Amino acid sequence: MRIHLGVFLRLMEDLVFILSGAVCLGSAIAIVSRKNPVYSVLFMLPFFLGMTVLFVLLSAPFLAAMQMMVYGGAILVVFLFVIMLINLQPDEIRDDFSFATYGPPVLMCGVLGGLILSFLRLSIPADSPLEQAFSKAVPVERVVEQPLVGMGNTVPQLGSIDSLSFPLFRQYVVPFELISLLIVVAVLGAVILAKKRV
Amino acid sequence: MNEVHFVTLAEADFSWLPSLFSFRLLSCLALATAIFSIGAWGVLARRNILVMLISVELMLNAVMLCFVSFSRALVNLPAPNGNAFAAEGGQIFALFIIAVAAAEAAVGLAIVMAYFRNRQTVDTRDIQALKH
Repeated sequence: MRIHLGVFLRLMEDLVFILSGAVCLGSAIAIVSRKNPVYSVLFMLPFFLGMTVLFVLLSAPFLAAMQMMVYGGAILVVFLFVIMLINLQPDEIRDDFSFATYGPPVLMCGVLGGLILSFLRLSIPADSPLEQAFSKAVPVERVVEQPLVGMGNTVPQLGSIDSLSFPLFRQYVVPFELISLLIVVAVLGAVILAKKRV
Repeated sequence: MNEVHFVTLAEADFSWLPSLFSFRLLSCLALATAIFSIGAWGVLARRNILVMLISVELMLNAVMLCFVSFSRALVNLPAPNGNAFAAEGGQIFALFIIAVAAAEAAVGLAIVMAYFRNRQTVDTRDIQALKH
């Protein structure tokens, strides 16, 4: 049975999307429904792995690497440290899983998700230009009229470090510097809050 | 303006739902919506502060997925105003979301640690020192 290469790639894209989406959804449900908070923190890891695969599929490889490094390598580790230091015993876990406390938020979130999904489906039907642009392959090189400094008439591929650095240091340089200020403030705040007052 | 046409649940058209299992923009957004509502569920229904913080990270990740899927759709559309990097804006904003989420997680967990050191509890029903 011969399959055209384009059809095979589409099938592979669908398969990878379904698998990583299932991993993300399953880990998300496990995070919010596990009684023991240690399990919640541990299920963050497959969630971030699934998100990384999704970002690579959506042609954002640099973002995927950053996400794995920052979320999986820093935030997850900090959560694990806090879980370890707090050291909750099983009889101290007092989450209420009865339907009276638990049911209304779950139903509300289901309704919210359904509403958002129906609005999205109405605004992005299957034949809209956004959908068709999404299904086209990402061009390796995009051509522009005004040549860029040091690059000529071609623009690097979406998601590469080259193409992310151009707008980051020209258009969005102010938010970039403010983010560094934010991180300094956050580190200061965390250090001060964590000190023991004598 | 388009006219509004109401249908009941029995005659509603659900035939587009199986197409969500293929890799389209709507399926990525539907996945982001699902993860966002699961995160909202976690924030509202759990009493443990740590699980609530993790659910907030879940919601931020869902929004990141949304931005990145729109950026992939935008790269094939004609560039607005001659701005060749219109599509990268989504991914750059997702980078900013990562940085802000890291900062917020660090400060939030430092607050949790400081509170736990004084009160020995992480249950939100017990955290009522500002109440009266």
